[in-house]
Amino acid sequence: MSTTAKPMIASALDFAARSDTGRARENNEDNFQVAAELGLFILSDGMGGLDAGEVASRIAVETIHAHCRDAESNPDLPFEGQRIDGASETSNRLASAIRLANKLVRGAAGEAAAAHTGNGQDGSPKTAKGMGATVIALQFFADRVSVAHVGDSRAYRLRGSEFLQLTDDHSLVAQQVREGHMTEAEAESSPLKNVLMRALGVDDAVETEVDEEIAMEGDTYLLCSDGLTRELSDSQIAAVLGETTDAQSAADQLIDLANLAGGGDNITAIVVRVGAKSGRALAKIGRWITRSGN
Amino acid sequence: MPKLTLKFDNAILGEVPIGSKEVSIGRSPDNALVIDNPAVSHYHARVFIEEGRMMLEDFGSMNGTFVNGQRAKMVMLKPGDSVTVGKHTIVVSDASDMDGFAPVGASVARPAAPKINETVMLDTKERREFLRKVAAVGESAQVAPARVKVATLIVRSGKTDRQEYALTDKLTVVGKSALATVKLKGWFAPKAAAQINRREDNSYYIGAADKTPSVNGNPISHPTKLSSGDVIAVAGIEMEFLLRD
Repeated sequence: MSTTAKPMIASALDFAARSDTGRARENNEDNFQVAAELGLFILSDGMGGLDAGEVASRIAVETIHAHCRDAESNPDLPFEGQRIDGASETSNRLASAIRLANKLVRGAAGEAAAAHTGNGQDGSPKTAKGMGATVIALQFFADRVSVAHVGDSRAYRLRGSEFLQLTDDHSLVAQQVREGHMTEAEAESSPLKNVLMRALGVDDAVETEVDEEIAMEGDTYLLCSDGLTRELSDSQIAAVLGETTDAQSAADQLIDLANLAGGGDNITAIVVRVGAKSGRALAKIGRWITRSGN
Repeated sequence: MPKLTLKFDNAILGEVPIGSKEVSIGRSPDNALVIDNPAVSHYHARVFIEEGRMMLEDFGSMNGTFVNGQRAKMVMLKPGDSVTVGKHTIVVSDASDMDGFAPVGASVARPAAPKINETVMLDTKERREFLRKVAAVGESAQVAPARVKVATLIVRSGKTDRQEYALTDKLTVVGKSALATVKLKGWFAPKAAAQINRREDNSYYIGAADKTPSVNGNPISHPTKLSSGDVIAVAGIEMEFLLRD
């Protein structure tokens, strides 16, 4: 069954996004894009020498945004790749956008390589080795949210006191942990923790992981690059999300804390709250006043 | 060097490398791996290397030693195996094997100017090569996928719009909401009581929404993987989860 529904109204979402170069790198290879009218939030962490990383992550976020926006006004927009059974139209469109982004990043990698070294001697186009990007994208619709990702950029959700990582990293060490070959602690200290099993721009096709969740009032969602999660523990992140009252101060504090902790990589955070917390509290107080006045 | 990691629930209580000396396991403080619990015998079991193979021997303990759920007397261990003693789990891992894989990643994506913490990506061929190596070590979860099974929920008690639901969607909502698949009836039924996610590998996980579901009588604390035959209770209804061919 596929569900078609209007996007959740942007006014029901309190959101903020911030990206920072960090303290060790010279340039920022992360990119993000927010399309509130679509309920769409996209973050990408690029990689590759020279400016390849920035280019890759920019292509990724721009392609995904444009494809989802165009699909909104034109349902006949060509679909990229196979439909996922049982997933909503929103999820399928998001997956299509990510597959398209993969193609374009791969194309750009080929061009970059051609500019530097020319075509390979066998006539096949060479790609800029190492040019690629991760992506994490959330799109809110009706009472749900689609969560799509490739690589090790993550999405988290704070609901009440429960803090949950919604995405499984497509990294070598995460796979080893899932299969029981490694403990979490070993993964943390492994010299192989930078090895990704999936990324945009590496192969002609990319496996996009898509999940759907119920979006509930009071939920706080976080999209972030590994520059944040390498510096801060889950409990530190959860504490910031739980103790701040608005999305902007949450995003600001997360970036500041990650920089204080070392800022070893680019840091990007997008914080999205469903239904403003203060608004809820006011509504409760309002009810209480009404009742006590009766 | 292979090692044993002692866990209780998800907490890591200790780690012991397995070298030339055997690792004795038991409640007595003179064991190499001490598990202070009445369910564990004073000298419960040992792990040792013999002819290059890692072996586990149970010393005829009262409550037994289980390897991957099977009671064991003398059995060969491999990385990834899970040994249960009482309520504790000992995970067998082999960190040294992992070091051997470094060249797989190192051979790709070396930019002209190496930077700190450079991320490396594996393409399909490299990934396959890596998985082949893992398989050679002894165990891999990357076995050929079995036939796709149909997941079904069968309502045992409570008010719902149907008796049986095929779980074909990525997300199945249990509740009163218009978008719920398992529709609850009754005045006080929550809009979204719980959710079931079908993941990429076709496994199913149940998670809380407005209510916290129980699986086989135990309230869940995080999204929990469902196995065929599990009984789910939430918002006054009871359902059985089944995987059918």
